[in-house]
Amino acid sequence: MRRVRSHLSRLVRHPLAQAALVLVLAAISPLLSDGSVQILCFVLVGIIFAQSINILTGIAGQISLGHAGFFGIGAYGAGILAKSYGLEFYLTIPIASALSAAAAYLLSFPAGRVREVYLAMMTLGFGMIFFEVVREWNDLTGGTMGLPGVPSASLRTLTALGRPVGVATYFVILLLATTLFLIIMNNITRSRIGRALFAIHHSEIAAGSLGISRSGARQLAYTLSGAAAGLAGGFYAHLVGYLGPDSFNLHRSIEVLVVAIVGGLGSIPGQIISATIFTFLPEKLQVFAEYQFIVYGLILTFSLLVMPRGIAGLLLDPPRFIRSAPRTRAGRGDGPPVPLRPVAARAPGGVVLSADGVTMRFGGLTALDDVSLALAPGRITALVGPNGSGKSTFVNVVSGLYRPSVGRVTFEGRDITGKPDFEIARAGLIRTFQDPRLVPNFTVRENLMLGAHRLMRGSGLAAALALPSATDEEANVLKRVEAVLRLIDLEAVADQPLESLPYGYRRLTDVGRVLLAEPTAILLDEPAAGLAEPEMERLSKLIRDMRGMGISVLLIDHHMDFLSDLVDDVIVLDSGRVIYHGSMAGMRQDKTVVAAYLGAEETVDA
Amino acid sequence: MDFLFSLLIAGVSVGSAYALVAIGLNMTFWTTRTLNFGQGSLMMLCAMLTAFFASQGVWLALAAVSGLAVVGLLGIFIERFAVRPALKTEGSMGWMVATLGFGTLLQGIAAKYFGSQAVAFPEVVFSASDTVTIFGQPAALQYLVIFVLAVGLVALLELFLGKTIWGQVIRAVSFDQELGRVQGMPVGAIILLSFVASSVLAGVAGMLIAQIGGTVDPAFGFDLVLLGFVSAVLGGMGSSVGALVGGIVVGVLSKLVGGYISTAAEHGIAFALLMVMLAVRPQGLFARPEAVKV
Amino acid sequence: MLEVRDVSVAYGAIEVLRNVSLCAEPGTTTAVLGANGAGKSSLLRAISGVAPVRSGSILFDGQDVTQIPAHRRARLGLAHAMEGRRLFKPLSVQNNLRLSWQFGARAVPWPTALRDVYDRFPILAEKAHVPSGLLSGGQQQMVIISCATIRSPRYLLLDEPSLGLAPIIVSQIYEFITDFAQRSGIAIVLAEQMATLALKVSDRGYVLRRGRVVQHGDSCTLLADSAASLTASYL
Repeated sequence: MRRVRSHLSRLVRHPLAQAALVLVLAAISPLLSDGSVQILCFVLVGIIFAQSINILTGIAGQISLGHAGFFGIGAYGAGILAKSYGLEFYLTIPIASALSAAAAYLLSFPAGRVREVYLAMMTLGFGMIFFEVVREWNDLTGGTMGLPGVPSASLRTLTALGRPVGVATYFVILLLATTLFLIIMNNITRSRIGRALFAIHHSEIAAGSLGISRSGARQLAYTLSGAAAGLAGGFYAHLVGYLGPDSFNLHRSIEVLVVAIVGGLGSIPGQIISATIFTFLPEKLQVFAEYQFIVYGLILTFSLLVMPRGIAGLLLDPPRFIRSAPRTRAGRGDGPPVPLRPVAARAPGGVVLSADGVTMRFGGLTALDDVSLALAPGRITALVGPNGSGKSTFVNVVSGLYRPSVGRVTFEGRDITGKPDFEIARAGLIRTFQDPRLVPNFTVRENLMLGAHRLMRGSGLAAALALPSATDEEANVLKRVEAVLRLIDLEAVADQPLESLPYGYRRLTDVGRVLLAEPTAILLDEPAAGLAEPEMERLSKLIRDMRGMGISVLLIDHHMDFLSDLVDDVIVLDSGRVIYHGSMAGMRQDKTVVAAYLGAEETVDA
Repeated sequence: MDFLFSLLIAGVSVGSAYALVAIGLNMTFWTTRTLNFGQGSLMMLCAMLTAFFASQGVWLALAAVSGLAVVGLLGIFIERFAVRPALKTEGSMGWMVATLGFGTLLQGIAAKYFGSQAVAFPEVVFSASDTVTIFGQPAALQYLVIFVLAVGLVALLELFLGKTIWGQVIRAVSFDQELGRVQGMPVGAIILLSFVASSVLAGVAGMLIAQIGGTVDPAFGFDLVLLGFVSAVLGGMGSSVGALVGGIVVGVLSKLVGGYISTAAEHGIAFALLMVMLAVRPQGLFARPEAVKV
Repeated sequence: MLEVRDVSVAYGAIEVLRNVSLCAEPGTTTAVLGANGAGKSSLLRAISGVAPVRSGSILFDGQDVTQIPAHRRARLGLAHAMEGRRLFKPLSVQNNLRLSWQFGARAVPWPTALRDVYDRFPILAEKAHVPSGLLSGGQQQMVIISCATIRSPRYLLLDEPSLGLAPIIVSQIYEFITDFAQRSGIAIVLAEQMATLALKVSDRGYVLRRGRVVQHGDSCTLLADSAASLTASYL
């Protein structure tokens, strides 16, 4: 089974096979009956529509129960532009797609304020409003009577530049558009943009720590998804020639969700297969139509549990998120391997990062009480203290997750107090979390690529069209990824999905990822937790390498033997206060510290 | 003025129906923070089965009880096979899709076996012509029953949640299931019961609303549950008083819009309200302030 | 008697406890010591039935409860004061106590049980109707411990009662624990990071390091003999 799957995947992903499929379809379409070609057109529309859910839900992780609305904006947009303004379809469809994208962009703002079930309800509300508007705005949409007379390929009323466009021609145009769309989508999912969307899908907080703006990514996902749904809608309008509100109700939204889930959320070929099946079945099987609701219901109820990766998970290897062109280029080794560069931090007065009098209160509880510290370039500072002493809170304040109640945080001479986390990350102050927050279905290499997100400047257009500039940039990052892989000694498993690897490897990937961001200061929150001895050694070597590059490291940990020959300074927190700042040796002798950890007599009797 | 009054009475009446649906949705929200997106189908199925049994000559009360028993059992099924497994996965996508799917499944089954045509629904409590006069306006007793039931239920639930130990248990479980288990609370049974109660209430609401229209078809309950969502969100998910107020606001507002602007905009305005509310104050009007989490 | 036999606990791929055995006799206090992440909480969670036990068994007075769900173990007389300020924060202090009493042994009538708690911690009487989430850390810890003792348990698990508290509050809470231990004569398992403190109030001690028992024995012996090695386990 696994071999069949890998052969099938290779076939499906081979550019020649893809080109052959497109050419064969284009070549045989004139030989088929109009009815058959029409069904093929519906298949292509279904494919584009399913991909629009795939972008939003499969890739960016945002649920939508109102996608029929975007499809409808595309369809009615194209229909009205053609009917009332006499525009031809090569204009109406792109405009309709843009309209739908604009609507989705606008929706992303209120949608960005809610999560999960509230998001589902909001999108449901959007879909229902669209449906009501279409049904009641008689003058524009024809209301419940619908909008007949849209120039249609099936009805032989479609013309372009004075020539009639039959179903066969329309199919070829639609086929080209679909192909182009899929190429762009394929490129985007395997660019820094697609990876960023996957990152917010998996953990918004981790994405922020890599310099990815949550709201920006979400707006992008909505806009792209809306554009795709609008594109599908536009083509649909000029295919059928009649638009009625019932084609854009909640059932349409559910149907496309079924298609996307069955295809396998996140997989592009899975959606193609699924959309094909679900378009053919109702056309060809009367029985299916009769049981359609039952089948959809069963699929929705159980498929996410039984088959979370859908058809794609069954038939194909999981998708990958780096294009092969930059990989071959990076692998060819043009020039010597890229060494990891030392960083040049701006450190006014020898201080890269400083906290001054930081106090953090939650309700009645003071988690941090007037904490001040300063990190120098190229030094490792340990932050230790008993459970609940405020270490993680401190990291959260510095990295922008919490705004301190009182106090100031300065990084490279700039005040960063209260700045959002992704801006702080972009400035070069990178953190990790107690639990490694990686994208589980990404490989080690792909996760490492995410680390470089803040440094990548390529435009969306370059990414979408896979322009040489984008390939160059990816190749350069890949070379640095290679260097980090060597450093963390994970070259052997670089291309395995992270979820299949033991915990220690994930941890090393997590810390290694920080290096790709070329930070000037890093905050590591318990990086050694859960590691075995050999992995701890690798980790401590990695942290030393970081110091060697001139990076300031703040390290939270409890393993004193791990810390002792690694760190330059120790800061001990207890109940939110700094109770010791100095050398490791001094700390062991310090009465207050020993008391705080062991709960010695003096403290209890005090 | 008469027109305004009649709109207000109509608004309060339909609003109480939305409130009833919203309360049903709240019940599972209390225990698991989930909502049954298939609630509308349970309403439909209960009404459909009652009508079917009654048409077969079964005594009406027995028919109604059988309908309720079936949806109650389906509540167990939903909790056990759709929601519980989905809650083990991350995020809320799983249970939303599963309950939505279960609703679609029931709708499909009803359409297959009862046909997609509307079925006549018997008069369970009052007939459509029974009215009383309020402020000089006739008000249908059928609606009044729903209003009284909704108000009574809200009062009971507020008492139950606020004054009884089990109300405290439910609040405790919704806050921290694990802590509840460690303290010996039968958490699993409580959750299961909340689904049964929610489903049975959906059935009751379905029957009461079906007798107003006089018919029930497989798509019945669909709009109602959407408006129930709007009411629940408006009042604040989980709040019974909120559900009542939210339902009445939605009902009155849509009737006023329908009466003075256009009946076409009736439902649209409710969904617009939903989106505005979610964007501005997702916790709703009556959500309890959460104690600080540290 | 509460027995843990060769228990291993794993969350997914991460094994947090490996072949740990422990025995807690009635009328004694058993300290479980170790640094952060050593597995103390996991051991207690395994006993109360909320951690995934991979192998081994847990016995209450000889009865194997490994397969019994957490809420029924609680009914068998187990009380677990969990770490991390686990309280029903939206509920008032009194309702927290009431719920815990309600699902406990109810050996003492409610008014008496409540009065005992308020006599012991008068501040809780003042805050009786305040949502417990709004209390200070020390007060929350008092509620948590009182919730455990108000159940009249036969076995009591206390997870880091000193966590993040001021020394004066710590001593107050420990005074209560020792007092309760003497009065009730039940088996107490006390997980604590503060070794000296815990050893002073306990009869036996187990030292965990990375999920394994590295040392165990009489508390006095542990305290006297191994001050140096204990320090090594922590610092």
